[in-house]
Amino acid sequence: MTKFKDVSYRREFGVKKVLGFFPVVTLFFFLVPVCLGLLCTWLPALGYLPVIGAETIGFDYFLRFFSYPGMAKSLQVTIVSGFGATLLALGLSLWFVICLHGSKFWSFLEKSLAPLLAIPHASFAIGFGLLISPGGWLFRLLSPNFTGFESPPDLLIFGDPYGISLALVLALKEIPFFLLMLFGVLSQLNSEKIIWLGRSLGYCKTRVWGRLIIPQIFPHLRLPFMAVLAYSLSVVDIALIAGPSKPTTLAVLINSWFYSPDSELRLLGAAGATFLCFFVCLAIAACVIFERLFEYWRRAYLTNGSRSCLSESMCWTGKPLSIIFFAIFTSTFIGLFLQSIAHRWRFPDALPVSYSLRFWKKGLVQSLEPLLTTINIGVVATIISAFLVVGCLEYEVFLARKGKKTDARQIFWLIYVPLIVPQIAFIFGVQMVTVALGFDGRFFSLVAAHIIFVLPYVFLTLAYPYRSFDQRYFNVALSMNGSYFYSLIRVKLTMLLKPILFSMACGFSVSVVQYLPSLYVGAGRFATITTETVTLASGSDRRVAAVYALLQLVLPVLVYFAAVVTPLFVFKNRKAMQS
Amino acid sequence: MKLSAIKCLVAVFILFHSTCFCVASEGDWEHIVAKAKGQTIYFNGWGGSEAINDYIQWAGDVANKRYGITVKHVKVTDIADVVARILAEKSSGRSTGGSVDLIWINGENFETMKKNDLLGSPYSQLLPNYSLVDTENKPTTLYDFTIPVDNLEVPWGMAQFVFMYDTAKIKKAPANMKELLEFTKNYPGRFTYPAPPAFHGTTFLKQLLLESVADASVLAQPVSEVDFATVTATMWDYLDEMHLHMWRKGRAFPASGSALIKLLDDGEIFISFSFNPNEASRAIENGELPETVRTYVHKDGTIGNSHFVAIPFNSAAKEASLVFANFLLSAEAQVRKNDPTIWGDPTVLSMTKISDTDRKKFEQIPTGVATLSSAELGAVLLEPHASWVGAIEEAWRVRYIK
Repeated sequence: MTKFKDVSYRREFGVKKVLGFFPVVTLFFFLVPVCLGLLCTWLPALGYLPVIGAETIGFDYFLRFFSYPGMAKSLQVTIVSGFGATLLALGLSLWFVICLHGSKFWSFLEKSLAPLLAIPHASFAIGFGLLISPGGWLFRLLSPNFTGFESPPDLLIFGDPYGISLALVLALKEIPFFLLMLFGVLSQLNSEKIIWLGRSLGYCKTRVWGRLIIPQIFPHLRLPFMAVLAYSLSVVDIALIAGPSKPTTLAVLINSWFYSPDSELRLLGAAGATFLCFFVCLAIAACVIFERLFEYWRRAYLTNGSRSCLSESMCWTGKPLSIIFFAIFTSTFIGLFLQSIAHRWRFPDALPVSYSLRFWKKGLVQSLEPLLTTINIGVVATIISAFLVVGCLEYEVFLARKGKKTDARQIFWLIYVPLIVPQIAFIFGVQMVTVALGFDGRFFSLVAAHIIFVLPYVFLTLAYPYRSFDQRYFNVALSMNGSYFYSLIRVKLTMLLKPILFSMACGFSVSVVQYLPSLYVGAGRFATITTETVTLASGSDRRVAAVYALLQLVLPVLVYFAAVVTPLFVFKNRKAMQS
Repeated sequence: MKLSAIKCLVAVFILFHSTCFCVASEGDWEHIVAKAKGQTIYFNGWGGSEAINDYIQWAGDVANKRYGITVKHVKVTDIADVVARILAEKSSGRSTGGSVDLIWINGENFETMKKNDLLGSPYSQLLPNYSLVDTENKPTTLYDFTIPVDNLEVPWGMAQFVFMYDTAKIKKAPANMKELLEFTKNYPGRFTYPAPPAFHGTTFLKQLLLESVADASVLAQPVSEVDFATVTATMWDYLDEMHLHMWRKGRAFPASGSALIKLLDDGEIFISFSFNPNEASRAIENGELPETVRTYVHKDGTIGNSHFVAIPFNSAAKEASLVFANFLLSAEAQVRKNDPTIWGDPTVLSMTKISDTDRKKFEQIPTGVATLSSAELGAVLLEPHASWVGAIEEAWRVRYIK
């Protein structure tokens, strides 16, 4: 008996050793590059970059940064586009939920979410630009019959100097993300009962949502909200496509400094990146404080007994708004497709005059290598990420099984650091380090750079299903064969195949759309489909840009499709697993 | 003692550097070609034009078949980025195995590279095809934006600034900058230029500067030696006035020269410009522009220059880069580049130095509908000194991006 216990103890000890390894490796993967990256950005920001002979520490570059011509306007554009996008996306997502929850349209929305999520930002931005710009499809459809325009009107619609079009592109693209988060949270909450209860007390639907449900779900939305805000305030590639040219957003300006031949400007860029990082932290802190204040104010109103309901009468707008939302996405991609097969298509023709497939032929030949590079990096980064995430989550479960307090959970918030800290704030430092070590332009360093951003999304999408797995299946398996890892792989991970594949698909599509890491760490040697698409969007032929935008879209869509189909195929003899 | 040790190190360093190309020059060209086999070169160049990208792809394929070298075209939006990277590599001490093997540059980027010693020792004289270059009649192949080339870069193509207009929209093309301003007043919103430092935008400003100064010889001097504010005063007055009548009232600018083609095609603008005299014909052929578009130049001439390929000092595949640069200079590659249905970039070769069969090939290149004859192209104005580029771009930004 004692002998048996001893064996089992040793086995458990072995499991602990193996699993305990995962959080350490995972955190190492993040903290080292992010911390080194930040440090190697902060030092040059203070004027310390010995390789170019700058060794005096001081705030000169910050002062120069703030007095740079056009700085105030750049900041203003950044604020408008960043906050505008985030608030608009959150507001519209919540409004869709309030108005449509429980209706047939809601379940349609739920089903159509995955393809919308799969759309890369850049390809949407290009397509949206082709749709709404003065020479775009919308004006072509309306001209000259409705508008009387024979030539495109001289209107500053896309890439306007206020950053409104940029905000709109970002907001539209973030709505599916917020909706996904809302679906997740609402599925854990018995919202029907709450609504039923609220209605029985005489409150209207919008009031029930505003007073009972949203306060409950908002804590779960806080992290996605912060991530979207940080992303919108610091995005470079989308701002290059949809943002203003004069002046650009802060992130684009900083990016151009980092790439300037004048090494002084790189120090200025480092100062700018440090400021942007600080600014994003400030923005997040402001939002948290505002949320607290709002909560305080809301509590006072909670019990005022008012049953009046003005907003309920506005609920009818939910359906047309969401139809417009879908129409924008659909027409964006129909427009992109038409553009990609057009030969001659001039304003104001509603449709191309002549068609040609040669841009597809050419595009496919030329993009083959970038596509393969993208797939290679994405697949390797995603597999490593999924492996690490599963290990971390399993370690958490293992500790819980041992009755220990899950201290792992308290560390894992660190994984979200790369989602909150702007890429531009540390990627320059990462580049400095990789160049110094001779690691730049190598496949493995590029994969490592992608993992920093892929892993959090894999974690974010897998954590909930993994934690809520019914552990009794695993216990039964363990009691039958005694091997921890055999039971884990054969039973638990197999049963979790669907969420694991879904999280991997998310991770892969995150890898596909990475722009700055591929640019800075790839040393120009690794052209991915995204770097090519962004390059081609800035000039050249719009037909070629359309082909690339669609190609960029194809990869994530295929992978999401595979993630949906594979479980159906694997579980074709397991009816209960198919739902 | 310490000092002499440093001196010693420096000497070793210099010796090491100078041997890099000496090895190549001692052996004959066959030796270089043999050594190039199996090497991969990363060719960094502006990637914003499909026509050019296709051409580079073709050249890479031929080089692969013929010489066994692999050419990877790294498409960049602004070549200054790449120069910055090479500079960063130099400052971090990477003198071999650099990330760039061949770079497509001219003007201020060449100046930066030359000034910072990023090009090693002279090498273009090693190429057999270099002897075919028309250095006598094309002085810009020897002086890049007035900077002596000194065999540190290989001429690749010629450029002349030309304007294009849509004859379906306007009857008469402006003959100079003054008339262009009149045009923008008559047709508000129908002209624009890319925001500097996009090189088409900067070139437009330089053309404007050349036309607005009384004596163009001041522009041949480095900008630090003249009174920049006085020389450019007329130009800024002109721009202040023109912006009011420009596309989006001068509140937004297209990102690049190729974005102008899109705008011209859509009829958003009626006048555009290019650095390639065959651009309009090529774009018509390719379905990017209507057949009514024609090319024109200003009466007193337009800016012309040459563009080059150069091998950075720390290139990881020097032999293959030399071989590829030599191939780009061959009559075969230059004829194809000259064809307006492919790229339409004028050749740097001399028609008297190449063989008769090659000359026939050049003569057989179809002239595009919108291409001007060399007589019509008129006088070629020399680029201002390379230092003007940075100064103009900076002043423009301070003035208009607020």
